[in-house]
Amino acid sequence: MRILFVIVACMAIIWPWLPTTAAADQSTSAGSANPPAQPEASSSDIDGEQMFATTCGFCHQDGGRAAGRGPKLSKSERSDEFIIERIKNGKMGAMPAFGSVFSDGQIIAILAYIRGLDD
Amino acid sequence: MALYYARYLGGCAALALAAILTASPAHAQDAAALNAEAAQNDWSTHHGTYKSYHYSGLEQINAGNVKNLEVAWMHFPERATRGLQSTPLAMDGVLYYSGSYSRVYALDGATGKTIWTYAPELDEELVAKQTHSPYNRGIALGQGNLYVGTVDGRLIALNLKTGKPVFDLKLLDSKKVTVGFTGAPLVVKDMVIIGAQGGEWPGRGPIFGVDAKTGQKKWQFDTVAGTEEAMATWGNDSWRTGGGGGWMPGAYDPETNAVWWGTANPAPLYDWSGPDWKKSGARPGDNLYTTSVIALDPDTGKLKFYHQELPHDAWDFDSAVGEFVMINRGDKKLVVHANKSGFVFVYDRSNAKVENVWPLVKNINFVKGIDPKTGELIGRRDLVAGKAETPLCPAIAGGISWNSGAYSPKTGLYYKIGQEWCMELTVLKTTPILEPMAQLNIGADFKLVAPPDGAARGHLDARDPVTGALKWEVNYKEPPLASVLATAGNLVFVPDAEGVVHAYSADSGKELWSHNNGMGHNAGIISYMAGGKQYIAVPAGWGSLVADEFVALYGEPFKSMAKNTGALVVFALK
Repeated sequence: MRILFVIVACMAIIWPWLPTTAAADQSTSAGSANPPAQPEASSSDIDGEQMFATTCGFCHQDGGRAAGRGPKLSKSERSDEFIIERIKNGKMGAMPAFGSVFSDGQIIAILAYIRGLDD
Repeated sequence: MALYYARYLGGCAALALAAILTASPAHAQDAAALNAEAAQNDWSTHHGTYKSYHYSGLEQINAGNVKNLEVAWMHFPERATRGLQSTPLAMDGVLYYSGSYSRVYALDGATGKTIWTYAPELDEELVAKQTHSPYNRGIALGQGNLYVGTVDGRLIALNLKTGKPVFDLKLLDSKKVTVGFTGAPLVVKDMVIIGAQGGEWPGRGPIFGVDAKTGQKKWQFDTVAGTEEAMATWGNDSWRTGGGGGWMPGAYDPETNAVWWGTANPAPLYDWSGPDWKKSGARPGDNLYTTSVIALDPDTGKLKFYHQELPHDAWDFDSAVGEFVMINRGDKKLVVHANKSGFVFVYDRSNAKVENVWPLVKNINFVKGIDPKTGELIGRRDLVAGKAETPLCPAIAGGISWNSGAYSPKTGLYYKIGQEWCMELTVLKTTPILEPMAQLNIGADFKLVAPPDGAARGHLDARDPVTGALKWEVNYKEPPLASVLATAGNLVFVPDAEGVVHAYSADSGKELWSHNNGMGHNAGIISYMAGGKQYIAVPAGWGSLVADEFVALYGEPFKSMAKNTGALVVFALK
């Protein structure tokens, strides 16, 4: 699982510079307003944090560090696959499905942000 | 030829007179009931009557005999995802209510026997994408129809007798804006009026007027930049995704032919502009007509007058919550409206001029105060990017939530739930969202915490609605999230979060009766007459967005409380 995390974190960091998807447009516009992330940037410096505060923070409190409307996400024992599936398909009555809203790259960026959270 | 026309006109006049004579008694009776202070045998509109008192004139159940109140019958809806959040209506001994997925039930008011049910086919994929879904908060009656909105953007009319669809009108492109309708419609004359969700969802938050008979859309008023004047209050084209909306029903003042409606907050909820909010940040300017009370002409949808309760709302304290309590004090005709921030505004009913502003809750620090003469915010706390030094009060859940209070003309007291909580907050400068799309627009990370003066809690206040003077108060460990009912039997009913329905003396706040429904309440409560007997009806069933905060705040019983179930519980005297 850790290997997968490293892969997704790397993908999330390079994603804003991939120009082929609609999602990249949004990430690129964010990138133009902020200095480009450096290779040594930690996962908490990437767009995932910004995306989290735009959408996910409404329910997952303290940037995902505390339980609220939604569960605490930092140090989650759920697998990467589970979290990606949950972001895409949601849970009726509890969480919206974001599969048609976020690209795979954006979802990976959010996952990378979550995995980088301290308590 | 002249004789022909004279005869023709005479015939027309006779027909018109006959039509008036046949139609007016029923229509006049309806209008009188809707404009009364007290709901009597029927509870025919969301707020009881247009005066929004949530007050029943029935007194068969009263302070002397309420101890004999017991369950008369119950009804269990299908697919009660996120519990039950609607306010039932009653007419001619039949009880109507809606559940999640806009399912509607017509039941014999005395026995609970099902008369008809209706389950619209919804776009399930769209339902799954929405945050404020799939619950429904109410219905409207009129023109022989029942009206209900759907989360996929439709207004449906059902024949009141049969439950068969009369029309099914698509009003919103919900696939684009990811919002629909959860609030009850309001019927005014021959128009049915319904407001869209909005707030943190990027859109323009429209309110619609639809011909109640034909289902033809007559008008649309955008709460975000609905006029040229308003558009100028949104810098950088931010009006395109400004949020707004009017997700709870307003009320109607026949004297001025004005529909009063509360509007929701702008998006993003939290702005990084700081004190320079008129010129910088995510949405520079006042952001009209968000977080406002607006008065619309029900016939045309034209704006008559308005007051923006919180210019450039940077705290998610929208005005969509709250009933419009229409009272007269001396020679003044007033309307009282609660804002989510915890302040209660008192207006002149003819022009929305501020007559007074008073705080219902104790823990407020988003402003130092509000000028009671002008409504101007004093000492605004406009946030900048980064962690706020001290928690923001009240929290995002508000000092006041959408559940309605009640006013008793008998005691002259306004019974209203207040919420005491704050939140730690870190504002982030997010990417501007330039087109409506299926994405929330929040702009911050936050965490609910206890206020400086004690535990996070709630209270029922009995206050003078104009001055705010406190007569009595009942405290709760957790804020009750259901509406309040006052009755001529000198009673105030409060369905609480843990599942207990309380009846208090309207004079003193002394508890006279209680009953445990076994699951929390976040719906409305009404009283009506069927077969000569008075009933109290309340939906039980837990799971709103505010309710979802309670597990982290309070633990049990909310941790173990079922969220996707519900029951309509109806009480009568033994």
